[in-house]
Amino acid sequence: MFWPLRLGSIIAAIAACFLIQAATVHFVDDYGQRLVTLAALYVTLAVSLNLINGITGQFSIGHAAFYMVGAYFTGFLSIKYFEAYSHQVGGPIVWLILMMVAGALGAMLAGFVVGLPSLRLRGDYLAIVTLGFGEILRIIVQNQESLGGAQALANIPRVKALWLVWLLAFICVAVCRNLLKTARGLTFVAVREDEVASAAMGVNVTKVKVTAFMVGAAFAGAAGALLAHYEGYITPQTFAMDVSFIILTMVVLGGTGSITGSIFSAMFLSYLPEYLRSLKAPDGGTLYVSGATILQWLIAIFLAVAITRFISRSAQFPLGKRIAGYVATLLGAFVIGKILGFILNLVHPLAALLVDAGQLRMVIFAVALIAIMLIRPQGVFAHHEFSWGWLRQLFRRKNRPTTAVSS
Amino acid sequence: MGHGMHLLAALDFRTLPEQLVNGIFLGAIYALIALGYTMVYGILRLINFAHGEVYMLGAYVSLFVSRMLGFGAQSDKTSSGVLNLLLMLTASMIVCACIGVIIERFAYRPMRSYSRTASLITAIGVSLFLQYGGALFLPNAPPPSINEKVNPFRESYRLVLVHPPASIQTAVAAALGPYEEVKKTYDAYMSKHPGLGEFDLPPEGATIHQKYMAAKALYADAESKASTAGVSIVIRQGDIVVLCASVVLMSLLTYLVMFTKPGRAMRAVSHDFDSAALMGVNVNRTITFTFVIGSALAGAGAMMQATFKGTPLTTFFGFVPGTKAFVAAVLGGIGNIPGAVLGGILMGMAEDFVIWLGYSDYSDAIAFVILIVVLLFRPGGLLGSSKVEKV
Repeated sequence: MFWPLRLGSIIAAIAACFLIQAATVHFVDDYGQRLVTLAALYVTLAVSLNLINGITGQFSIGHAAFYMVGAYFTGFLSIKYFEAYSHQVGGPIVWLILMMVAGALGAMLAGFVVGLPSLRLRGDYLAIVTLGFGEILRIIVQNQESLGGAQALANIPRVKALWLVWLLAFICVAVCRNLLKTARGLTFVAVREDEVASAAMGVNVTKVKVTAFMVGAAFAGAAGALLAHYEGYITPQTFAMDVSFIILTMVVLGGTGSITGSIFSAMFLSYLPEYLRSLKAPDGGTLYVSGATILQWLIAIFLAVAITRFISRSAQFPLGKRIAGYVATLLGAFVIGKILGFILNLVHPLAALLVDAGQLRMVIFAVALIAIMLIRPQGVFAHHEFSWGWLRQLFRRKNRPTTAVSS
Repeated sequence: MGHGMHLLAALDFRTLPEQLVNGIFLGAIYALIALGYTMVYGILRLINFAHGEVYMLGAYVSLFVSRMLGFGAQSDKTSSGVLNLLLMLTASMIVCACIGVIIERFAYRPMRSYSRTASLITAIGVSLFLQYGGALFLPNAPPPSINEKVNPFRESYRLVLVHPPASIQTAVAAALGPYEEVKKTYDAYMSKHPGLGEFDLPPEGATIHQKYMAAKALYADAESKASTAGVSIVIRQGDIVVLCASVVLMSLLTYLVMFTKPGRAMRAVSHDFDSAALMGVNVNRTITFTFVIGSALAGAGAMMQATFKGTPLTTFFGFVPGTKAFVAAVLGGIGNIPGAVLGGILMGMAEDFVIWLGYSDYSDAIAFVILIVVLLFRPGGLLGSSKVEKV
């Protein structure tokens, strides 16, 4: 029963990729296709960072560097050799797949280099080293004239293969999920839970950490290769630090360690900025938000977070009361926000200050990051994964005996 | 090898002393920021990512105060006094201290019972929030900078280390005489005919102007030859003020930490959080105090950077100095106050050294290179003890 199931799921995944491509091409315009492509790229990035941060328990905040290595390496190769060799290897799609592999290998090498310090460093120090590594790489690329310098590396042959982008996302998810089902994969979790104890149990901690970095980087590199060939041009700014922070936010919001969480939050957060950008004023122009409106919602969110924290931390409330409390908090925050808005709009400079709604995206990411940490530091999904069994349990919850121990 | 030789030949060793001295001045500001990092890390074991943003806000406070004092972009005021600078400094320090306390109270304190990674993510969130949220409310396009007229210390001194050869010195002296003479005639002519611009002079005026320009060029040429032949350091008054003020602030800090009661509490808490609490130290108040001091120092650094160096301000202005200062703190040994000062100064010198090598594009990368090297080979930093962290 094992092999037919596995083969079936592989075929289903490939079929799903083509289905997504067919549906996207059929139903949405170029812009929509771009969103669907970017969503898949971000899913790959978030899930691969989740392997490093969530599953292995390291703390990397320079994931955009691997993305950049893949994109620049393959972009450079394609500009040089696409014309000459793409037909010999069997067409642009095969070439793109080769480039994906090349990007993965290049980024894997970078992952190896970054993974090495992780042997001696942990937590915050490792974080800042990964951040620094990303910055060094970006500055080096920025100063290479052969890579386009601070301008773009342009004229990369464009190969569009939406199904391949999604296939990469599927493979990434499958690798991470299946890794957790194997004995080898459990060593990753062991390292996260307790490095010393797992070393004492015979886990090769060095190997696990470096492998995690290399595998995570490889997927990011492959995603970079696809991005380069999708866009046709890349700039160092495409991979600036805020991209790393966005990927980190995706992982943290979804739940560090939860693949399901990473997938959902990657799709949600990659769509959010585009949604903000697409918002239009009633007359069809760019939507502007006033400073007063921003401030009113910031204060409302702050109050909501504070009350939610209070409710979730006081043990005496039973579940029903607690949920009622959350709903009341949300409603209350909304009302307070509206009232505050009325007052703040009387303050002339605040009401007169107009901000393009598209500019709000990083502020929203930052607020989401802080709020999720304050309310639920383990993320929305915590370490839970989606599974059919879980879904079944969800509906059968009422008659289950309440012996569950919270973890 | 041949490439290396070529590189060496391209270097101008006569400018090295000046670059290194400039590095010390730059490092003084890094040291002020690094102190905030090191104190917070010493107590909470948290990299306060938002510290660079507190620094950025301090610079904006100085900007607003300088505008309130009448030194806006189009100000016609020509002179300023030390009092203005002190006002800006105090305002910046006070506001930064308040911001630091608010951040600690509402973002870091609630996270204290969770893992350190959770606090770190919160810190990153606060940093992003201040950068991008600030960009919505604070003026940043085009980047404003503090009017240089608010700074009374604008002159510079030349400190000659090695005198240029005698022949060049006589050439300078020879060019100076005619130049001064022509300048006198020119100035006299110009004051007799006010309202005339340089380029719309009548024929006789034009000849005088021409002569003046020629003599000036001759003198400038001799002067520049003299300055490149000798070794000298140009020091701006503002830099000296920055250094002195930093030294005063750091001495105050040392006194505070070593010889006062709150300082002793700080040391106790950083040594052992729980034991200090058991011994009756008010941990929360001590942490607040640490944030007050650290943020105020960052505010002072920001005011001096923005006023004396005239750096254009954006809300992302604090991130790079912030990371460099953090590296400085790690370099000196995090948690160690003299270490932060030493690290800051070395960091500033390293940066100017890279610029001197001709790689100014990489001056931001050097910080991270230093960081990685230090962490790999001496994780405790220069002055810190390289204790292995227990799990």
